[in-house]
Amino acid sequence: MALLPRLRRFAHGLSRNSADADDLTQATIERALRSREQWQEGTRLDSWSYRIMRNLWIDTARSQSRRAVREAPEEEGLAVGEDPRDAMDAAVDLRRIMSAMSRLPDEQREIVALILVEGFGYREVSEMLGLPIGTVSSRLVRGRTALLAMVGEQ
Amino acid sequence: MTDDEKFFAWLDGELAPEDAAEMDARVAADPELARLAEQHRKLGNRLSAAFDPIAQAPVPEQLVAAARPSGHVIDFEAAKRARGIPSFPQWTALAATLAVGIFVGTIVQQRGSTPIEVQGGKIYAAAALNRALDTQLASAPSGDVRIGVTFRDRTGEICRTFTETASSGLACRSNGRWRVNGLFASPEGQASDYRMAGGMDPNLAALMDSTIAGEPFDAAAEKAAKAGGWK
Repeated sequence: MALLPRLRRFAHGLSRNSADADDLTQATIERALRSREQWQEGTRLDSWSYRIMRNLWIDTARSQSRRAVREAPEEEGLAVGEDPRDAMDAAVDLRRIMSAMSRLPDEQREIVALILVEGFGYREVSEMLGLPIGTVSSRLVRGRTALLAMVGEQ
Repeated sequence: MTDDEKFFAWLDGELAPEDAAEMDARVAADPELARLAEQHRKLGNRLSAAFDPIAQAPVPEQLVAAARPSGHVIDFEAAKRARGIPSFPQWTALAATLAVGIFVGTIVQQRGSTPIEVQGGKIYAAAALNRALDTQLASAPSGDVRIGVTFRDRTGEICRTFTETASSGLACRSNGRWRVNGLFASPEGQASDYRMAGGMDPNLAALMDSTIAGEPFDAAAEKAAKAGGWK
């Protein structure tokens, strides 16, 4: 299975819009190629690549998205008011969900993306991020609860 | 673990069986919890429905280009396209560069899974690998060994690239046998992924580029070479 499409999906889980997500994906590929000697045979390539992406996001994209959130409150207000039942088109819903996820605190957003979108287990995420499993679990509870409140399922 | 955490761990299938059974019972007895479970299952489905199309969509060309590790691979891909072999996601090529390339000599005997034999300090294909190199066409893969590209090297001998369970490599004719000139190990546990995705080890591509004379054989030339006993 090719890893690139999955990394792109993860980038969308972290980023505020598709353009930022593809920039992040490209930066991740470049970083991974430059540091490929550091990857250890026998360890999972996907976890290693996801970790590179997450660290890059922390370094750069995260501060950009913070700025973007402050600069674009109106657009978000519009998205929140729409009825999710009208959102038959996945692309429309994707934008709404990305917007909601971008308002989660970063440490919750990355865990929601890794577990609920990418399908990793708690233990895998705990190892990937170097966090105690209890921390992963509690951030996931807060993140998904806030997300549900924002995208409002009836 | 708080009650909330336990509930969501249950929802995600992360609880041990006995704890899960206990939570099953609690949710069944509590309409409020059951409703919460339903809401969060829907949220999970909605996240999948929104994000999964990204993983299924074609990757934009700029990202595919960024994943090409070297000019060698671009050349190799061009060679494959010239033969009508589908081009595979470049990310698998990146993955393969992460494998440790092993030039035959010392380590290969320990791996055991690649059928080779050593004679007079030279390494030759054996058993299934030898049969595949002798008889298999790139267009008709069968068994564990897959043949990639066939070409003539600068000394005039016919060479073929191959991929099998644990490695990929290059074998060239030498005194009526297939001598293995390069063998590259795939990372353990990921070998089958590479094989299925058809990813090529860039080290192998580079080796091929450094030895090939002219163009790779097309299907007709490959067939003719087989009929002529690979001479």
